Amino acid sequence: MKHIKLRVCLSLFVFMFLLFSGGHAFAEKPIIIGAPLSIAYLYGWDAERGIKLAVDEINAAGGVNVNGKKRPFKVEVIDTRDLEPGVPVSEALMAVERLILSKKADFIVGGPNRSEAALAALSLLSKHKKISIVTSGVLTPAYHKTIAKEYDKFKYAFRIHGEAVTLIGEMIENFVDLKEKYGLTKVFIMAQDVSHARGAAKVMAKVAGSKGFEVTGSEIFPTGTSDFSMALLKVKSTGSQIINIWMDMPESAILLKQWYDLKIPALPFGSTLAAAEQPGFWKATDGKGEYTLCNVVNAGNAPSDATPWTMKFYNAYAKKWGVEPEGLGSSSSYMAVYVLKDAIEKAGTLDSDKVITALEQTDVMGVYGRLRFDPKSHQVIAAKDPKDGAVGSILQWQDGKRIVVYPKSIAKGSILLPPWMVKN
Amino acid sequence: MEILVYGTINSVSLALMGLGFAMVYGISRVPNFAHGALYVICGFVTWTLFHKIGLPYVIAIILSLGVNGALGMLMYRFVLIRVRGMNISEIIASYAIGLAILEGLRFGGFRGMTYTLPVFMEGSIMIGPVPVDFHRLIMMVIGILLVAVLWVFTHHTRIGLALQGMAQDERAALMLGIDSDLMAMLAMGFGAVLAGVAATLILPLGNIVVESGYHVLIMSIAVCIVGGLGSWMGAFFAAFIIGYAQILTVVFIGSHFQMVVAILAIILTLILKPSGLFGQQKELEERV
Repeated sequence: MKHIKLRVCLSLFVFMFLLFSGGHAFAEKPIIIGAPLSIAYLYGWDAERGIKLAVDEINAAGGVNVNGKKRPFKVEVIDTRDLEPGVPVSEALMAVERLILSKKADFIVGGPNRSEAALAALSLLSKHKKISIVTSGVLTPAYHKTIAKEYDKFKYAFRIHGEAVTLIGEMIENFVDLKEKYGLTKVFIMAQDVSHARGAAKVMAKVAGSKGFEVTGSEIFPTGTSDFSMALLKVKSTGSQIINIWMDMPESAILLKQWYDLKIPALPFGSTLAAAEQPGFWKATDGKGEYTLCNVVNAGNAPSDATPWTMKFYNAYAKKWGVEPEGLGSSSSYMAVYVLKDAIEKAGTLDSDKVITALEQTDVMGVYGRLRFDPKSHQVIAAKDPKDGAVGSILQWQDGKRIVVYPKSIAKGSILLPPWMVKN
Repeated sequence: MEILVYGTINSVSLALMGLGFAMVYGISRVPNFAHGALYVICGFVTWTLFHKIGLPYVIAIILSLGVNGALGMLMYRFVLIRVRGMNISEIIASYAIGLAILEGLRFGGFRGMTYTLPVFMEGSIMIGPVPVDFHRLIMMVIGILLVAVLWVFTHHTRIGLALQGMAQDERAALMLGIDSDLMAMLAMGFGAVLAGVAATLILPLGNIVVESGYHVLIMSIAVCIVGGLGSWMGAFFAAFIIGYAQILTVVFIGSHFQMVVAILAIILTLILKPSGLFGQQKELEERV
């Protein structure tokens, strides 16, 4: 008898514990966020972590208020593998369609990550009338231009992070500073053989030329290239002083190691340089990546005080995942969920047309500044000051740390040259 | 000068990648499509032993080569032996094992670019006007020495001669008392160790990523087809042809096309000389 009583008490305790633990218990149906991401790659897994962090915070705070009913978010992730070499775009499209049809996703957030795949997914989103906010990877200007060109068809798509043209502008501004400060005028461009990188390399060559820089060469590397010696020797023989790198493949770490080993007298300045974005880069290169600069697209992906929310996010991410925000998709993926929550609450429904209108009216101070979408192209509005818009972030590896050096409004340091480039 | 130096380094690197594949096929006639996976797994085992368990680097390398050799032999003993002689089944079975290893590693969290091994020696020297880092030079020397050791092993040791006998005529070798399954298993083990040697020499130059398994497999196949399937010396010479062609492409055409060189070499060889440069037995079959 005594044992039966004990068992009943224990069962009741467990039941009560399960009922009241773990934050809120929701009676309402969850809102499903479908996340098509290339999760074996940095721009996939950092986005997944950013999304899940925001969802956990929102659910813990009571969920999303949809016309008076509190509904939780639920994340469904499917690996698109679109960042991997040789994986066709159709794989990513299948992942998006599976999220919509089989996982019953109400919204798509995150990817696909590769520009080619994201562009191809636009028609799919239009067909299913599903709202998507791309948050990581997709950098091609063609994305928002396509939306603006056929707004009625592609109005379901938004992009909450910076794009290649903005990134180029930010980098050129730094090149000009380097020219004034150190007399660096010769630029060699290295890009991976993927849409955004090829496009960006072309634009960069044009813009750099028009700003008085001599473009000494341009090399395109197949995804997976593991030896850059010959290209680096070309950099040296042409007297180049800046290496502008557009590569998101892991092998870009090899390029930077070789750059150090060969003591190439040119400053590596990359964008979507996934290897150098990660906090583990220093250890992975035994410090050989020091002085590498990379554009991490938005603030919050490296430590800064862009807004009061920046370090709050940064620390929450580090606490939850045991690693600091790692790549260009961390802060934007996190903010996309909050922006979506606000839009749903404003619309009071999940109806796509109403949520689109609410998203177009978005105006919040987020992790990387004031977030607003261009109403025609659905591209987040960029700025140099967080008070005016979404600010970018360029970091340089200095003494084992990722130091934000641009924009000036949030910078924590200034650009340094490696010792073998310093003229006595 | 830079073409000469980096052409040789690139060629030796390709030879290292392809030797194991060529040796296994030459002896057991098993096309080991798990070769790339064995290369990657050796990198990760070395990384784990060195970084996680804290063993000295040399011990970690030796142990991981042992693990790789055992893995190769187990693959033959438990899977490939059952499909031996059925070419398509051998390819499917070995590719499936490779795929399972690579995707298993990815699933197990071995992703990203932070898995690295230290180079054998830091620093660089100038060869004429060309800077070269010490590790690449060490890799080049070990690669060439390895070919010499392999030649001595296959021509002057009992096991090596038995392996050669198998490669020349398996039935005749059986009549002379050579256990063909044991030799094929040993060949798989040696092949896996060679994949591991390539991994421990090449991977410190960059990082260990699952995708490199596919790259190594493609390069191994290219080297072996051009050199002549079954001839590991042919593979060595083919590595120099492809290696130099790649470097010349990078210098005079563009880095963009360097991967095309290997694929083009496979296509041209299959059209012009399907037996490859040194594939004598296949050539005889073709004539017949």
